[in-house]
Amino acid sequence: MPAPSIDWPAVRAAAAFRLAMPRTPAGGRIGERLGSGTGSSLEFQDYRAYAPGDDLRHVDWPAYARSGLLAVRLYREEVAPRIDLVLDVSRSMAVTDSKLRAYGEVAGLLACACASTVGDTRAITRSVLEPRRLHRPEEIEPVLECEAALSALEEPHLPCRRRSLRVVVSDFLFPHDADTLVSRLARDGASLAIVQLTLRDEAEPAVESGRRLVDVEGRGEIDLVIDEAAVRDYRARFNRLRLGLSRAARRTGARFAHVVAETPLREVARQLAAAGVLEAA
Amino acid sequence: MTFATPLGLLALLAIPAIVAIHLFRRRFPVRPVAGLFLWQNPRQTPVEGRRVDRLPITTSLILECLAALALALIIAGARLSSAGGSGHFVVLLDDSASMAAANASGESARDRAVRRVLAEVERLGARARVTLVLSGERPTVLAGPSAFAVEARPALDGWTPQAANHSLALGLRMARELAGRDSRLMVASDMPPDARGAGDIAGALWVAVGEPLANAGIIAAERTLAPDEGQGTVSLTLASHSEAPAPRRVTVSAAGKDVLSRDLEVPPGISSLTLPLPPGLPPVRVALTDDALLRDNSVVLAEPRPRIVGVENRLREERGREALVRALDAVSGVTRAEPGHLVFVDAADLNGSPVPGTWPVAFGSAPKAWRGRGDATDFLGPFILEKRHPLLQGVSLGGVVWTGAAPLLPGAVHPLIAAGNQVLMGLRASGSRDEPAALFNLDLDRTNLIRSPDWPILISNLIEMRRSGLPGPERWNYRVGEWVRVRLGRDPQGPLRYRAGSVERTLAASRDLEFMAPAPGGLLEILEGEDMLFAIGVNFLDETETDLRGRATADAGELADPAVLRAGSGPAFDPLFWLLLAIGGTAIVANWWILSPRRRHA
Repeated sequence: MPAPSIDWPAVRAAAAFRLAMPRTPAGGRIGERLGSGTGSSLEFQDYRAYAPGDDLRHVDWPAYARSGLLAVRLYREEVAPRIDLVLDVSRSMAVTDSKLRAYGEVAGLLACACASTVGDTRAITRSVLEPRRLHRPEEIEPVLECEAALSALEEPHLPCRRRSLRVVVSDFLFPHDADTLVSRLARDGASLAIVQLTLRDEAEPAVESGRRLVDVEGRGEIDLVIDEAAVRDYRARFNRLRLGLSRAARRTGARFAHVVAETPLREVARQLAAAGVLEAA
Repeated sequence: MTFATPLGLLALLAIPAIVAIHLFRRRFPVRPVAGLFLWQNPRQTPVEGRRVDRLPITTSLILECLAALALALIIAGARLSSAGGSGHFVVLLDDSASMAAANASGESARDRAVRRVLAEVERLGARARVTLVLSGERPTVLAGPSAFAVEARPALDGWTPQAANHSLALGLRMARELAGRDSRLMVASDMPPDARGAGDIAGALWVAVGEPLANAGIIAAERTLAPDEGQGTVSLTLASHSEAPAPRRVTVSAAGKDVLSRDLEVPPGISSLTLPLPPGLPPVRVALTDDALLRDNSVVLAEPRPRIVGVENRLREERGREALVRALDAVSGVTRAEPGHLVFVDAADLNGSPVPGTWPVAFGSAPKAWRGRGDATDFLGPFILEKRHPLLQGVSLGGVVWTGAAPLLPGAVHPLIAAGNQVLMGLRASGSRDEPAALFNLDLDRTNLIRSPDWPILISNLIEMRRSGLPGPERWNYRVGEWVRVRLGRDPQGPLRYRAGSVERTLAASRDLEFMAPAPGGLLEILEGEDMLFAIGVNFLDETETDLRGRATADAGELADPAVLRAGSGPAFDPLFWLLLAIGGTAIVANWWILSPRRRHA
């Protein structure tokens, strides 16, 4: 079955990034990243009135001296963020070898970024499958077996965790409503990053003669003369699709990046960083 | 390009079928895509239903049409060479009139030849190609070249042998050219090859289907008129090729009415018959009762209207004039007239203005304007004669003393008789090109020419030359195939043509008409517009064809082996076959490669 063979040395060479954290603190187990709740970090968060049982070490004694009221200092918690890496393993991601190879590299890059983020990373490919926890970036490789007839994004319920950092990688080349799809992906999440990976030929097809176009996911086939008019119409529709995703992401506070396969991986990393998906580690 | 089986061209219908298939169900190269919905144009499925899209000219369509075209041409048996395939059957039919001679049961050699040819055509099958050639002085194609087998029977049904005796060599040559190297050749005649002058018949089957028969016929006919006696005659030469005298009835009819009828016994061999005829009758038909060969039993004879030459003698009353009078008296068809068609004058009078229609013949010293320096001289010879000129035919001038020949300026006359550089006699244009003046640079009173045999010949030639310049036919009765020459004497005033029975031909507009007497003959009318100018008789008069005793039945040679012909003429020997096969095969393979599943997967 189609699964990419990832060139890990090249991926690691380009992986000087980690996932960009949202302004809203993410939830998770105790870790190294600031959480949204109170905890035991050094960062002050708030005061509240002393209640019996509070740790006397947190009582703000100078404030008691000034006001005669017992108040305790609250600090931000430090968490290890939950990261849900949603991967599209439908056959469309392996429509050509180059696309599958590029998909593997991008997924590997994101896996490395997740590892650099020191979070609880899980890879989600299907709603019916248990998400796979990624302890090491290399563990993502067997996940990417692109043989599904449907993209996971088309399934109604994905096993994403609440307040998780969600990174979605797909070509989004399936009929969808961008606002609905993005809202659904962002629901209850701490943040959402959308990475659209397509071939250059899928973004900007060239004029050809007649072709029988067969959808790799079994959505039918048509005979079409790929002339200038057909190419013009296709590009307009693709641009509408990409623009729809971008606008929907902007409306929901998500980040969106369009990556073209066969782009050098360092350039891809820079594009993702520029889109706010990654940040320097 | 020819087609062995033209019905195979129906396979070309595959091309519109392929186009229709491409129009409604295209077979494009497969290309897997991820987002098919982005390619789908909602306009492709309008509410009112599917529209006919413009046919895309794809490589697959071109290759499939090319393959269909090549295969259709192969099925139709397309050949580069015009010669047919192994089924091409060329027959040379002897068109001699004797082929129509019937025996006592009414069967002729022509009937037997037709049966033999049709049997051979039937044996070759319906796909065979047939070419029928008629022999003759000018061989013609009766059916074909390479006609369908079914066309042979109607062509043979309409065949009536009627040509005069001729060699089959020309027809055989034409048949061989039409047959090429890969066809079968048969000759159908009523005589063996040697008797028909065919020469080598290698590679051909000679079928002689003749039968020796007794026959009598007219082999020569003449109609004369003696105006002085007020009597016309018909002279017939009859040939009877039988052992015993043949009883016959001869009938002379004119304008559909019998004029004369006589029973006679035609003795074996050649005999003659003279029948009196009243003068002034229109063309008459002289017929013998029927026998084996009908073609030689009748003739049509037009009454001759001789062209009388009017002669005017203006020579001085000396011995030369007397000699001229004596010579003119010996020539028939001459009369004294003023002005005459021919006027004999003294050479000094040549400078006078010419009279239209009058040809001057001058004797003596030429006018001064024509003369060169020097005195007149006598010549004993040798004389240089323009033998080809009709005026000097039969003239030798042996022993003649040519007296009083004065030197002439170069170019003064066109010389016909000369002695060294001295022109003794010549022609000079007078009035028009058709009316020459003859100059005899000769002292007629001293020369011995007027006592030599050449003198009456010379005068006769002069008269005949002038006669040929008078309007009218050269003769009034001809054999089939003879050249008919008619002098109109003026410019035609309408379209000229001739009509002889069902044969009608247009003639070139000219003062002189010349054409070949057409077969089958009969009364031939020369028409100017709708006006008849002359009516002449054209008859089949052929002694050789009348003699049916040498006809025979035998086969000589043999038809080429069809297997050998097939080996040398099958489709594999035609480069077009291989070319079409290569094109068709390449197109099919290329199309398969373009649409192959492996390539689709790639």
